[in-house]
Amino acid sequence: MKLPRIPTFLLWAFALSATAPAAADDATVPTVVEDPHYGEVLFHFYQEDYFPAIVRLLAAQHEARLPHHDAEAELLLGGLYLSYGHHRRAADIFERLLADSTDPAVRNRTWFFLARIWHQRGYTDEAQLALANIEGPLPGSLNAERTLLGAQLLIDRRQYAEAIEVLAGFRDRSEWLSYARFNLGVALVRAGRTDEAADILDELGELEPWNDELAALRDKANLALGYAMLQGGEARLAKRPLQRVRLNGPFSNKALLGVGWADAEREDYGRALVPWMALRERSLLDPAVQESMLAVPYAMAKLDSISQAADHYLDAIEAFAEENRRIDGTIDALESGRLLSTFLADNAEATTGWHWRLESLPDGVGANYLYHLLASHEFQEGLKNYRDLDYLARNLERWQSSLGVFRNMLETREQAYDERLPRVTASLAGADLEGMVDRKLAFDARLDSIERNHDALALASPAEFALWGEVSALAQNPAVAADLPEAEDLRHKLRLMKGVLQWDLEKSFKERLWRLRRDVRESGEALVETQRSRRRVDESMQTEPGLFAGFGARIDGLAPRIESLRARVGRAMDRQRVYLQGIAVGEMQAQKERLHTYSVQARFALAAIYDLSSTTTAEAAQ
Amino acid sequence: MKVFVRAILLCAALSVAGAQAADEPAANDEFRSIDEDVQALKEEVLELNRDLFLLEEELLFPANSQVAFFLSVDVGEYFALDSVTLKIDGKEVANYLYTEREADALRRGGVQRLHMENLKTGDHELVAVFTGFGPHEREYRRGATVNLSKGLGAKYVELAITDRAPKQQPEFDVREWE
Repeated sequence: MKLPRIPTFLLWAFALSATAPAAADDATVPTVVEDPHYGEVLFHFYQEDYFPAIVRLLAAQHEARLPHHDAEAELLLGGLYLSYGHHRRAADIFERLLADSTDPAVRNRTWFFLARIWHQRGYTDEAQLALANIEGPLPGSLNAERTLLGAQLLIDRRQYAEAIEVLAGFRDRSEWLSYARFNLGVALVRAGRTDEAADILDELGELEPWNDELAALRDKANLALGYAMLQGGEARLAKRPLQRVRLNGPFSNKALLGVGWADAEREDYGRALVPWMALRERSLLDPAVQESMLAVPYAMAKLDSISQAADHYLDAIEAFAEENRRIDGTIDALESGRLLSTFLADNAEATTGWHWRLESLPDGVGANYLYHLLASHEFQEGLKNYRDLDYLARNLERWQSSLGVFRNMLETREQAYDERLPRVTASLAGADLEGMVDRKLAFDARLDSIERNHDALALASPAEFALWGEVSALAQNPAVAADLPEAEDLRHKLRLMKGVLQWDLEKSFKERLWRLRRDVRESGEALVETQRSRRRVDESMQTEPGLFAGFGARIDGLAPRIESLRARVGRAMDRQRVYLQGIAVGEMQAQKERLHTYSVQARFALAAIYDLSSTTTAEAAQ
Repeated sequence: MKVFVRAILLCAALSVAGAQAADEPAANDEFRSIDEDVQALKEEVLELNRDLFLLEEELLFPANSQVAFFLSVDVGEYFALDSVTLKIDGKEVANYLYTEREADALRRGGVQRLHMENLKTGDHELVAVFTGFGPHEREYRRGATVNLSKGLGAKYVELAITDRAPKQQPEFDVREWE
């Protein structure tokens, strides 16, 4: 069995190569699959069906079916656990296996991936420890990623000065440098060193991106810098970075809003209306679009278009109320569990794992309100756990029904055995195997005697024997002994016949003896096989009831385990669902509060317009 | 009105761009507590699955009659496996159509457990046929007939589709061991 194109010792690293394409490149030693069960695990592994792969590997290890792949199997198991998102168990295996590993490249890379998963899952201390276990450089871009991950952990722990030191010293020619610069800017902002941060963000805002990720990073830097300048009262300067943000990117709405504010701050309301009006064509889900619905009438009022401003405020109030109702519908769908079910329905039969990530929102009530929750690890990781638990629940449900089938199967086998047993026992009792053995031995002795005495007549066929007897009897007849020419002639013929017969028997004596010995030998072999079968039947009669009892006990022992795990998985699902619902409803409530604030602002502004209008009318009347 | 500006400013400025353009990690006590619970459950369900998997196998295919048929592929990049059919003693027992993902897993070195069967001790005839496509969409259909001798213990039969034969075209290579 061949595994000709697959790197061997680092198979587990393949599981992670989706996020680190360079990781697999330098593993070159080919492996030959010696045990089919190991190949079977790989068959599932390569399809990213991690759960069945782990089950088969555990079963094969339990049954000692991997004699040629013991060490690799354990490492593969660690990799499978990691890919499946069972990082605790993966870490146990790696810690045990890699502590004394002679290959530092394998060890370092393992610690790095573990650190990355732990960071993603919020296990900051564990992630830091895993990074600390790396000795020496990592291959390719992983080294840069490692430095960035280390700095990010420092930022997470609010150790900004240390993070700034690491990031400021970061040297690299790849795109990682841009990420490092951005994170340096963030660390500086958080450390209160905004002027230094502004220089870095400005530099990033000018970069020439060569892929989408870098273009998004550039937009993000420009947006952050623009808003920082607006907040610092530098409206004129703020326009430049804000206008560098792409018009069709994910940050374009905020940028358009900011550009409008930069003009409005300088009291150029006519110019401010241009980007704000452009925002009105976009989805009201975005807070920047919502805010533009207030900004537009605000600018119009400033331009003395009071009537138009009032109309726009009324439109805004109406739109906010409508949006508020939709959000209430989404909260309802969340609290009833309907919304989270739509996340599970997406490719529900696929196996789960750490790589899984919800890339697009399912259709259905309000899923699009959760759009930016998807960018947060908290929600994504929670959703992964929820999907994993759902997979476990369905798996346990299937086994529970299978257990009933197993019981029926066992009962059928027991019944068939009970029915067959009396027939087999009777048949065995009627078969005199010992007598047959005695007869075989007697045959052997008789053949030995025939051979020793060269008793050719003993091997004659019944016809030959009868003929011999007839000839011998005739020769004894007194008439044949008479002294007559006819009798002499008959005696001569009888001698001739006997001679011919004896000649035939003598000539074929060896062959006849060989044939007989062969037949007896074959009978002997058949007899030995029959004795063997009988022993097996005897053994089976003794062991089978015990075997049935053993199976029965195993089934009985598994049933409560399934039952108990189903209950626990159910409770964990409830807990995870409540947790996810909490995050999502919290998000919805925040959106509602923002809409409420905007609505109050709109009503207040509208009331002010009406006041102003009625005062002006009254003054005109006077 | 400037209050609107400030609300958005904080969102925009303070997120960290990481390796995956990552935001804050999923760190809080409740998340961690649930996650640890999930980890423990995964461990236990996996162990339970192992026990059930073995029980099912032993019940359905007792060791003294069990024969497992495995399929592996060792061919060039341009051969695409489409289907495999298996007959034992004249009876069709497996007819498998491969998805692209499965065929790829086989090409990369995975081994598929194609079929399990209970066979009595003695001689049996195995007929295996595979179909697939080679370069220029050339269709392949090859078969092999093998006489199997089933002894007392479990038996494994590997059907390897290989182009290492002198003709350099995909053929079956059958190996068996007990």
